[in-house]
Order: sequence, then C-alpha cells, then structure tokens
Amino acid sequence: MDYDAIVVGGGHAGIEASLALSRIGFKTLLITQNLDSIGRLSCNPAIGGLSKGNLVREVDALGGEMAHLIDHSMIQYRILNRRRGPAVQAPRAQADKFTYARLAKETLEAQPNLALFMDTVVDLVLDKEGKKLVGVVTQRRHTITCRVLVLTTGTFMEGRIFIGEYDAPNGRLDESAAIGLGTALRSKGFPVGRLKTGTPARVRKSSLDFSKMELQDGEEIMMPFSFDYDSIDRPMLPCHITWTNERTHEIIRANIHRSPLYGGKIVGKGPRYCPSIEDKVVRFPDRERHQIFVEPEGEGTEEMYLNGISSSLPEDVQWDFIHSIEGLEDAQIMRPAYAVEYDFIDPQALYPSLESKLVENLFIAGQTNGTSGYEEAACQGLMAGINAAQKLKGEKPLVLSRNEAYTGVLIDDLVTMGTQEPYRMFTSRAEYRLNLRHDSCDQRLTQKGYAVGLQKQENLERLQAKLEKMETVKELLAKRRMGEKSALQTLKMPEITIADLEAQMPELSSFEQPILYQVELDVKYEGYINRQERQINRFEKLESLVIDALMDYDAVEGLSAEGREKLKKIRPLSVGQASRINGVRNSDIAVLILHLDRGGRHGK
Amino acid sequence: MQASAPSGILAGMTRYVTDDIIYALATAWAQSALAVIRISGEGCLKALSPCFSRPKALVEAQNATTVHGYIRTEAGENIDEVVASVWTDGHGYTLEESVELSCHGSLSVIKEILGLLGRLGMRSAEGGEFTFRAFLHGRLDLTQAEAVQELVSSQSKTARALALGRLEGSLKNQIADFKQRLLTITASVEVQLDYAEDELDEFVFPREQLETLRKDIAVLADTYQVGRLYREGARIVLAGSTNAGKSSLFNLLLKQERSIVSPVKGTTRDYIEADLSIEGIPIRLYDTAGLREGSDAIESEGIRRTERLMGQADLVIYLVDSTDVSHIPSEDERTIVVYNKSDLVRPPKGRLAISAQTGEGVTTLLSAITERLTGGSHASGDDLVVIESERQSRLLTDAGNALERASALVTLDIPLDIIAVELSEALQNLGELTGEVTPSDILETIFSGFCVGK
Ligand SMILES: Cc1cc2nc3c(=O)[nH]c(=O)nc-3n(C[C@H](O)[C@H](O)[C@H](O)COP(=O)(O)OP(=O)(O)OC[C@H]3O[C@@H](n4cnc5c(N)ncnc54)[C@H](O)[C@@H]3O)c2cc1C
Repeated sequence: MDYDAIVVGGGHAGIEASLALSRIGFKTLLITQNLDSIGRLSCNPAIGGLSKGNLVREVDALGGEMAHLIDHSMIQYRILNRRRGPAVQAPRAQADKFTYARLAKETLEAQPNLALFMDTVVDLVLDKEGKKLVGVVTQRRHTITCRVLVLTTGTFMEGRIFIGEYDAPNGRLDESAAIGLGTALRSKGFPVGRLKTGTPARVRKSSLDFSKMELQDGEEIMMPFSFDYDSIDRPMLPCHITWTNERTHEIIRANIHRSPLYGGKIVGKGPRYCPSIEDKVVRFPDRERHQIFVEPEGEGTEEMYLNGISSSLPEDVQWDFIHSIEGLEDAQIMRPAYAVEYDFIDPQALYPSLESKLVENLFIAGQTNGTSGYEEAACQGLMAGINAAQKLKGEKPLVLSRNEAYTGVLIDDLVTMGTQEPYRMFTSRAEYRLNLRHDSCDQRLTQKGYAVGLQKQENLERLQAKLEKMETVKELLAKRRMGEKSALQTLKMPEITIADLEAQMPELSSFEQPILYQVELDVKYEGYINRQERQINRFEKLESLVIDALMDYDAVEGLSAEGREKLKKIRPLSVGQASRINGVRNSDIAVLILHLDRGGRHGK
Repeated sequence: MQASAPSGILAGMTRYVTDDIIYALATAWAQSALAVIRISGEGCLKALSPCFSRPKALVEAQNATTVHGYIRTEAGENIDEVVASVWTDGHGYTLEESVELSCHGSLSVIKEILGLLGRLGMRSAEGGEFTFRAFLHGRLDLTQAEAVQELVSSQSKTARALALGRLEGSLKNQIADFKQRLLTITASVEVQLDYAEDELDEFVFPREQLETLRKDIAVLADTYQVGRLYREGARIVLAGSTNAGKSSLFNLLLKQERSIVSPVKGTTRDYIEADLSIEGIPIRLYDTAGLREGSDAIESEGIRRTERLMGQADLVIYLVDSTDVSHIPSEDERTIVVYNKSDLVRPPKGRLAISAQTGEGVTTLLSAITERLTGGSHASGDDLVVIESERQSRLLTDAGNALERASALVTLDIPLDIIAVELSEALQNLGELTGEVTPSDILETIFSGFCVGK
C-alpha cells in the first residue's frame, strides 16, 4: 500500500479532505492536475454569505482550514442581513484570490504526512469483486494504491466550457478538463450525470467609471471567520454597484439564439438561484434592470468581477451588452464570461458518511456530489476526510445532524433527496436555523472535531474560556439595573444592542467583541429557541429509529411500490431520513415503524 | 412531522397484519331496508364463492362490477338475495381484492351472513381496520382517513354528506389553498433570509394577505362546531310555565319533521324526550315539567331536574303564554324566547311567535333553531366545508394562532428570522393536515416567483 489515503483534486473540497486525513495522522497523497491552481477561486472572489458563512465557521469549529484562508486573504468584510435578525445574518468576505490560493498551497506544503503530486486521475482500481477501492490510475500511467480515497473533481470531470459557439474541454477557462475518469466511472456503474454553471466576465479596473456607480464599503471592523483568534487586520477595498438597462436586455434578447443553452448544446442543468443574465432577462421580462456588483479580485490585480451577469453568450454579444451598462461603457474585458458543464455523481449513491454505496473505501465530496460553491465543497471535503479517517481507524462515521450544522443539512439533503441542479446552501433549507447560528458553531462542533482527532486541545480550552466569559457577561448584565429592568432584560428589546449597553457599562469593554456579540444573540433569542426545542425533540425521535443499511425491504409488507423502490435505492439509516425521501409516503413510514418494532431493531 | 402523524392513527390498532381476510357490517346495526357487508383481503372472492349461488361469476367478476345472486349456508340453503360489488386487487377502498354484499337489512339476515363469513375463515374486522388497510396501501391521506372514521360513526344524513364531501377532497382542497397562500407569504419572507438585502428589492411584509388568510383559517376552524353538531346532534329543552303549550309544541315539532326516529317515553314523569331531525341536525327534544313554583315535594324535585336538563341543553326554547306575560325570561345565546298562542293574543312586535294550535310560525321557529345551533353557517349548500375532527380543528386553530403572533411581531417590527419561526409553525400545522411542507417547497416557490441570484 503506497498511502493510507489519496485525495483527488486540489480544490476547496480536496484541501480540507487532505488536511483532515494527514492531520489526524494518516499518510496522505493529494493528486491534482495542476499544483499552481490549488485553492483557486474559480468564480466569485468571495467566501461566506448567508448560510455559507455558517458553513465556513462550522468547518473551522471542526478543525478545518477554510476560515484561516479567508481570514488572511480578505479585502472586505460584511455582516449580511443584520436587519433580518440574528439567526440569519452571516459574514461574507471578498478575497484576494491570489493570496487565498497561495495560502492554501503553503498550508498543504507545510503539513506533515501530506504529499502533493501533479497528475490527473483517469480511473479507479477496484478489488477483484469490484466492491472495494484499492487505488487509482493516472494519466501518466502511474498506479498508486491506498486504503481510502476521497474524490473531489469539481467542475473538471469531463468538463467542457462554452462561450457562444465556442467550446473546449476545460474545467475552468483554459485549464484542461480531467478526461477519462467520468467515462471510467460510468462504465463501473456509477450514476453519473451532467450539471452546468457559469461565471461572468472580468474587466479592467482602470477602464471603469466608478463615478457612475454606487459605492459599497465593507464593515469598519473586520471579524475573523475562525474561532481561533479574535481579530484580524487586513486592507480593505470597496465594491461598487451598477445596473443593467433596457438597452442591455435588448441586446441579450436579440442574440439569445446564439446561447449554447438555448441552442441545446448544453444538456446539464444550471442553478435556478444563480441564473445567467440571459436567463434573468428571459424569465423576468418585466424587470427594467438587474443589479451588478463590481468586485475587486485582489490587491495586486486590476481584474474586477462583474457579479450578476454570468453568461454563455458569444464574446461579441458580451462585448456589446457590457458596454451598454453605466460605468462599464469603456470596460476592457480581460476574461470573458463562460459556462461550464461537467460530470457529477448522484449523491444518493452515498451514505451520510459520504462513502459510496457501490464501492467501499471510496468517499466523494464537493462539486462532484452535485453541489456548487466553495463553502459547500469545503464542508463536504472536511466530512469526507474525517470519515475516511474514521474508516481507517475502524470507528463509526461522524454524521452531523440537521439540527446541529448546516453541513448536516447539506449532506442529508444530498444523500436523501439528491439534486436536480447544482445544490447551494440556503438558510431556508434548515428547519432549525435558530440553532445554527454562525457565532455558536464552536459550541456545537469543536468537541466533535476533537473527538475525531482533528481539533487541538488548545481550541477546546479556548472554547471553555469563551463559555466562561459569556457567563460572566450575562451575570454582569443581570446584576446591572437600568430603570425598571435589568440590563439583561433591556437587551431583549429588539432595538437595543449590546453596543448601546456598553456605553453605560464600561466594564463590558474588557470583553472581546465576539463574546459580547454572542451574548447579545443568546439573550435576544432565548424564548424562540425554547419553542423550537419541541419540534427538535420530535425530529430526534424519528432520527433515533435506526434502520439497518442492509434492511430487506422486499420482506416488509405493505410498502407502496414506489416507496419500496426509493427505500431500496437510498437505504436510509434512520426512519427520520426515510421520511425525507421523495416518494416515500406517510403510510410507508407507518409500515416501517411497525416493521422495526416487530423486528425488534428499534433504537438499536 | 410526516411520520409521527400516522403513528397516531396506528396507536389504537392492535392488528397490523394485512394478509388475512376481514369482514364487517358497513351499515348500522339496526333494522333497515338495506345493509352492506364489506369483505376485504386477498382471495376473498374465492373464499366466499362456495356459499354464493353463482361462484364462477363471482370469482371471475371484473373490477367494479356487480354480481347478483344468493348467499347460501354450507348446506346450500338460501340466506338472502344479495348484490355483490366486486373490486379486484389494487382497486376499491382498501386497494385489496374486496367485495361488498348488499343484502336485506333484517337483523337476523345480517347475523346469519356474518356468522357464515366467520365460518369461512374470515376474520371480523376491528374498528377502523378497513381504513387502516386503505391507509397502509396509500389510498388515503390522514384527512381522508379521519373522514372515513367519521363517516362510519356519523349519525345523520347531512353528516354523511359532509363526510363524503371531504373524501372527495373539498376540505383537502380548502387546506391546500391555505397552504399555497401561506407558502407564498413564507417564500416572500424566506427569500429575504436566503439572499442579502442588497440583492433584493425593498421588502414590504404582505400584511394584508396574512390577515385575510388568518381570518379564512379561523372561519374554517370554527366550522368544527357545526360539523360536530351535524354528527353528534344537539339537545333542545322546551321550557316554560305549565300551560304555556309545551306539549302541543312538542307534538307539533315531531309531526313537522317526517324523520322522527323514535319517540321515547320519558323515564320519569318529569319529562318526555324524542329524537327528530331539524334541517338535518339530529335533535333530542325534551318536553319538561312546568317551571312554576312547586308546592309538593315531587313537583319541586321535577323542577330541579328540569333545571338540570336546561343546564345541559344546547338550546332552551322558553315558551311564554301570550295571554299571561307575567314572567318573561331574558334571551341569551342558549335561550330562545317564543310567544305561544299568537292566535289568541298578538305578542310583542319583533319577537318570535307561534301558535302551537294552528301551526303558525313553526317554520320560522325551526329556522331560528337551526340558525342558533349552527351560529349562522348552514350546512345545506354543496360547497360547505366543515372540520369534523378535534385534531383538524386544533391544527387549524394552532395555525391561526401562529399567524396572529406573526402579525403581532410585524407590528412590533421584530426581525424576520423570528417572524419566520411563526410562519413555519403555521405551515407545519397545515402540512400535518394534508401532507407535509418541505424546505424544497419553499425554495421552489422562491425560485418561481423572484428574480434572485447574482
Ligand atoms: C465557470 C465556473 C462557474 C462557477 N459558478 C459558480 C457559481 O455560480 N456559484 C457558486 O457557488 N460556485 C460557482 N463555481 C463553483 C465553485 O468554483 C466550486 O463550487 C468550487 O470550487 C468547488 O470546489 P471543489 O473542490 O469541489 O472543486 P474545484 O474547486 O473545481 O476543484 C477541483 C480540483 O480538482 C482537480 N481535479 C479534478 N479532477 C481531477 C482528476 N481526475 N485528477 C486530478 N485532479 C483533478 C482540478 O484540477 C481542480 O483543481 C463555479 C465554478 C466555475 C469553474
């Protein structure tokens, strides 16, 4: 055996997976097509956002890397949806894309136990029965063996990019696709499908007229994503906002037939939540304008990202419609917008540990599972890495529940319901989001990260200290009177912030901002969290009815035909999971519960 | 949520097996023109055939056809002439092979047939077991299953019609409509939580939609009372002084309605009771001893009982003698004051008046009674949807309450993440009525209605 573990792909999923495996102590190899593109931000130069910011902090709480990378490469920081309420607000940062990728590679290089190798994996090696993974074959004909493998191919597996009539076998513009692997997996019986996504053009900063745009600054104080430190100091760059207009839409409408999407060249399904500009124009013909965020891609570059107008129209059309936009009249287009179509593997073929149901020891993560987004990729990469390590140790997988992490929601959604379009995290996907606040991820997850051997002792201690400080602050607030009420009660009022109290209670100033912030949220939320508890109890009851992965559904009488097929396909590990499968009816669940009771498997 | 609901329905069920043949009398245990006996389970036609005069026709019958013939004892003696309605596997109420025997409704015939079925190796079904099977085979959702349960125990024709209406989905459609409207409101809030403020248009909470929805839900929830009324009926007590004419009115009412079930003689000398139905509502009517100062001990005991009866009544009709208006009780929610002997003395203007002697005014009285009992919502139209189970009523009320809280939070300008909690609670309550609402339903609504995404 050459390695304990191999990770294929040096994207956001692969970075987390390879770091987790090597940090836990396994001899790991990361194979990626190009060492220079490790940790590249293919699309938007930003990390975080609503629910995605939570994912980043969950990764961090478990012992992953993403938060460190963005903390040390950010060039703007914002808390989104402050006014919408504490449960749904989340941090988002613009990244210097070069710094981000360089830090990623440096971190991998500095990691003991981790080897890096530039090549492209073209096939998997299975044992004689075809049931267990034993290694990989690369393009340059190396066969490398391992005990577990994490596959994270991103947009590269049989990737193809489209710009109008032009197309090329790329995963990103002018970066070779990984050709052969998708075909090999198909022939091995993996349920491989096609998805698509797109990215907008990059234009040159000095060619833009910012005076015609709206300025968008970040927060004055940057707060770290990571729980490991309390402050960061990074340069800040502004973003700008401009809008499309009727003229832009006319140009797009007149050329819509030249889009590879409308021409039927692209078969993969794109994300509805992040439509291309031509999609928006066609689907919402009544809208007079669409917003565009002009975002810097880094300090050392003039490239600016035009967030909001991804497209796969031909370059001459892009040229025309971009120049029809205010502030972009003379924009120099440095990179065109393009769409990419790639192979993904139906995640319903995975267990909640992200291990394949078809081939043992094979874990799959990231865009390969039908998701989209760096954070979505990172959290899966981390979980796949952790669970591959658990497998090597012969221990039970770590499966996060829907009520403890967005990561848990994401993975459960994927393996239970699959996806028809690139899956992105949304707050509304989570039923118990009051419990999933970004500022309390460490309280839910750090211990778990420690238990699997990833989190450091010192972080556990820091968490302890944090909890103690929070207690102290709460005590101070409870003791201090403010008119009729205590400061604690005052803080419950929606219009009062902890900053307001700080003015009157200088003793609070000795506590770090994150501590004060979290106390504030805790206090404001208490009543509602208690209300949600009841629902959670009911949810947990069904989750705790365990179903054997090898359950013989044919022997279960009374299941509907469709329910039976779906159960056989998904092989849920709990009644709770079964109840979320599309096509499994209430009556099927009733029958299952009855069957489990009779079979005495209940709760074991 | 989705799965916990059925376990409720199953809780009372002791037999979970579905591999045997069950039978039960589907109509009431009473002498009647026609009775229906239901049999369900794989192989039931074959099992029945030896005791059917046309075994081949029965076994080979197509789905949803009828076979006419005789049910016979094992010895070949005819028990009764029947029509067998046949459903093959995958059809019919339980989605199992099944047959319904329509036979004559004499108790002795029913008993004999049921006895025969038992001897043929079939099992007498437990209460609700047909529904349970239908449910297990995915034939019914919960609201429908409940409707069936009530159908079985429904007492009156209107209750039966209402129960049928629900099976055909009018309640289901109504709730589905609520759910859709709530989903739209929820999506408009959720999109604000899924996307950053600077990516969206200015948000105005759909206050008005929320309010109308809340009201509509409340109206439906309130119909529970009406539904229960038609199912369980009401007690009406006739009260008034001894010679106010109660007995005449009593007899008049009984005559008025053809659907008298059984005039029962009162068990004591204090009152007489009778069952009748007024505009489809099953009524138990009590004619009480007169409410006048009792002189002897027996009479005052009678008056005490009358008062107790009045206390338990859904409605008291207080009859006043127009020729002697010395004591006029006050009218309240549960009391209708009626002036009798309108043929002798003109009662005060605007008051309900009848002549128990001539029958004048009785029609008006009847509709006043219905009006009072139903709180104005009549169950006569085809389109009336009413809630018939405690559970449905509770879920609707809970949904309404959650919306009310949401509305209050909007007034207080509380952030959306909290308001969303209330909306999702309301959605869950509605979802428990017809089938759950998943996060993907919400996202679906968002994507189809909003232009989002950078
Ligand atoms: C054109 C484009 C548009 C996008 N649009 C969006 C968007 O609109 N919204 C959004 O949220 N996200 C978008 N992204 C997605 C975002 O970039 C990804 O979700 C994220 O990078 C996925 O991370 P990953 O680790 O799964 O894969 P990637 O970051 O794609 O990394 C995969 C890595 O694996 C390597 N690799 C692949 N196959 C092999 C192999 N067989 N052997 C060796 N190495 C291999 C690749 O070279 C690459 O370095 C877009 C990406 C692209 C390219």
